Amino acid sequence: MTFRDRARGCLLGLAAGDALGAPAENLTPSEIRRRWGRLTEIEGGGTDDTEYAIFAASLLIRHGHALTSQDVAAAYRREILPAIAGPMRGAGFSELGTVEALRRGLEPPLTGLVHAHGWSDGLAMRAAPYGIFCPGDPAEAARLVEQDGLVSAAGEGILGGRAVAGAVAAAIGGAAPDAVVDAALAVVPADSWTSRNIVRVRDVLDAEAAGPGVVEALHEAVVVRHYPWTDVAPEAVALAFAAFLAGGGDVEASVTFGVSLGRDADTIGAIAGAVAGAGRGEHGVPRRWAGRIGPVTGKCLPVVAGRHVRDVADELAERL
Amino acid sequence: MSGDRIRGAFAGLAVGDAAGWPAARHRAALHAPWSRRLHRELDTFAEEHGVTTLPVPFALNQPVAPLRVGPSDDAEWLAWTALTIDRPRAEAFRGLIDPQPGTAGEGAASALGEAGGGPVRARISVATALDNLAKDVEPPASGHDNPHFFDDAAAVRAVAFGVLGRDPTPDAEVTNAGDGLLGARAMAAAVAEAVASGSAAGAVEAALSVLPGGTAIGHNARLAVQAARAAGDPFAAVPALDAALLDHVYSYGVGAAQTVPVALALAEVSGGDLSRAVPAAACLAALADSAPALTGALTGACGGLGAIPEGWIAPARTLAGCCLPDLAGLDLIELANDVTEGIA
Repeated sequence: MTFRDRARGCLLGLAAGDALGAPAENLTPSEIRRRWGRLTEIEGGGTDDTEYAIFAASLLIRHGHALTSQDVAAAYRREILPAIAGPMRGAGFSELGTVEALRRGLEPPLTGLVHAHGWSDGLAMRAAPYGIFCPGDPAEAARLVEQDGLVSAAGEGILGGRAVAGAVAAAIGGAAPDAVVDAALAVVPADSWTSRNIVRVRDVLDAEAAGPGVVEALHEAVVVRHYPWTDVAPEAVALAFAAFLAGGGDVEASVTFGVSLGRDADTIGAIAGAVAGAGRGEHGVPRRWAGRIGPVTGKCLPVVAGRHVRDVADELAERL
Repeated sequence: MSGDRIRGAFAGLAVGDAAGWPAARHRAALHAPWSRRLHRELDTFAEEHGVTTLPVPFALNQPVAPLRVGPSDDAEWLAWTALTIDRPRAEAFRGLIDPQPGTAGEGAASALGEAGGGPVRARISVATALDNLAKDVEPPASGHDNPHFFDDAAAVRAVAFGVLGRDPTPDAEVTNAGDGLLGARAMAAAVAEAVASGSAAGAVEAALSVLPGGTAIGHNARLAVQAARAAGDPFAAVPALDAALLDHVYSYGVGAAQTVPVALALAEVSGGDLSRAVPAAACLAALADSAPALTGALTGACGGLGAIPEGWIAPARTLAGCCLPDLAGLDLIELANDVTEGIA
C-alpha cells in the first residue's frame, strides 16, 4: 500500500466518520439504538471536523516540518478572522475563544490558555493530517500538531491532538491496531487524563470483549457525568480509540461502533475513521461512504470551500 | 486586630455572595422543584411572546424567607471548609458522597450522594471530583481529570485557609488543577496578607507573587489590576474589566482566571473598601456568582467586620442550606469567632 493510498484512506475515513456521526451527536447510546439500530448510512454532510482538518493540512503543505505556532496564528488572522461576518458557524468554544483572543492581540500560547475550553477535542478532530505527514514517526507528528494546538488549545486538549496524530503516524507506517494505540500512549505523559482514559477503555475492552454491555461500560469508564458539554478531549479521544480497537482496525466496524457511543459522535467517528483509514487505505473505506464525500462547502471555514479530502490527501502524500 | 479581620473575611464573603444575582437562583433550590420548573416555563413563555419582563425566583404557596437577600453556595462551602479543615481533604470530601450508615439514602448510587440532610449541590468541578473519588481516582487526579479544573470552587474554600495562614493546596487539589489551583493559592495568599496587615495593595501583591505570568490567571490578574488602576475607581472599572477578561464565549462564569483577577483588581482600586468594591463586582453579570463573594472576602479581611455596613450583616450571616443542607441555620460570624479562638 502506498502512502498516498493510506493518506486517502485516512482523510476519507475522517470525513465519513464525521458525516456518519453528525446526527448522533449528543444522543444517548440507547436513543441511537432506538432511532437507527446500528447507524451505518451517511445521512448528510460533514461538520467542522473535516473542514478544520483540511485547514490543518494546508498549513503543513505550506510550512512542512518548519511549522510554528506563530505561523498557525498568522493563518488564523489572515484566513479565518476576516471571513467571520456575524456568527462563526460550526465552531466550538475553543475556536471561538481563540478568535476572541486573537482579536484582542494575544499570541500563542496565551491564545489557547485564556479561554476555558483548552481541553476541547477541537485539536484531536483535525490532528490526522499531522500523522499523515510523519509516517512511522509518532513523536514528530505529536510535535507538529502541538504547534497547531498552542494557538487554540491547552493541557489535555493538546494531549488529545498529540495522541491522535501519533496514532495516525503509526497507522500510516503500517502498525497493527494495538501498536497504534501504544504509539498514541507513547506521545502523551502517563500522568495525564488522556493517558489514564485510554488505558481505562482498553481495560474495559479486555474485560468485556464485544459483549452486550460494552457501550455502557465504556461510558461508565470515561464519560464525565456532571458536565453538559461532550467535547472533552480525554473522553472523545479515548472513546475513539476504543472504537478503533473494538473494530479491529476495520474502517466500517470502527466508525459504526464509534458513532454508536453518542456524546461527541461526529468527532469520535472522525478520529476512529482517520486512524482506521490510515491503516487500511482508500479501499478500506466503504465505497458507499466514499461516494457520499464531496468537496466541502466551507460552512464552518469559508477558506477551505471546494476542497476535497482526496485531493488534500494527495497533496500531503506528494510532500513525503 | 486579626480577629476582626477574620470575621470580616467570612462576613465579607457572605455579603458578596448575597449581593450577586445568582444567589437568588441558588436559594430558590430550597423550594419545591415545580417552582423552578414553572420558572423555566415562564422563561420560555417570555421568549415565545417577546415579553421582556423576565421572571425571577418566586415562592408560590411556600415560605418567602429563602428568597430574601442572603448568602448561598459560596458562604456554605466556606463554612464547610472551616468546619472540616483539620481533616484530610479527600476524606472530608468523601463524607459528602457516602450517606451516613443507617440514613435513608444509604446505598443509593446518587450522583452527589446525600450528606445527612439531603443531596449536596456543588460546582461542576466538585461534582466531578466526588465522582472521581467514588471511583478511587485520588487527588491530584481527582481535580485534574475534571472538565472544570479551572473553576474557582477551591478559591472560595481557600479563604478558610488564608485566614489561618495555611496552604490551601492539599484542599484545592481534590477538586481543581491549573488555574483553579493557582486561584486558590492566590486567594489564600491575599487573604492571609489582608488579615495580617489590612492592606489591599499588600494583599494583591501577595497574590500576584504566586501567579506565574505565563498562565491565564497570572496574565489576567495583571491585566485586571492595570485596567482598574487606569479607571481609578471600582465602578468606573466595570466596563474595562468586562472588556479585558471576558470573551463571553463559554457558558459558565466561575472560571478562577476571571473571578480571582476581578476580586484582586477591585480590592486594590477600592483601597480595601467593601462598600465600593462588592457592588462593582456584582455589576459584572457573567461573573456575579462568585466574583462579588471573593471581592467581599478580600475587602472584608482588609477592613474587618467593623467596616461592613451594618444593614448587610444580619441578612448575610445565616446560612440557608441551599447547597449543603446540613449547614442550614449556621451563623457564619460565630463560626469565624470559633476559627479566631482556635488560633488565639
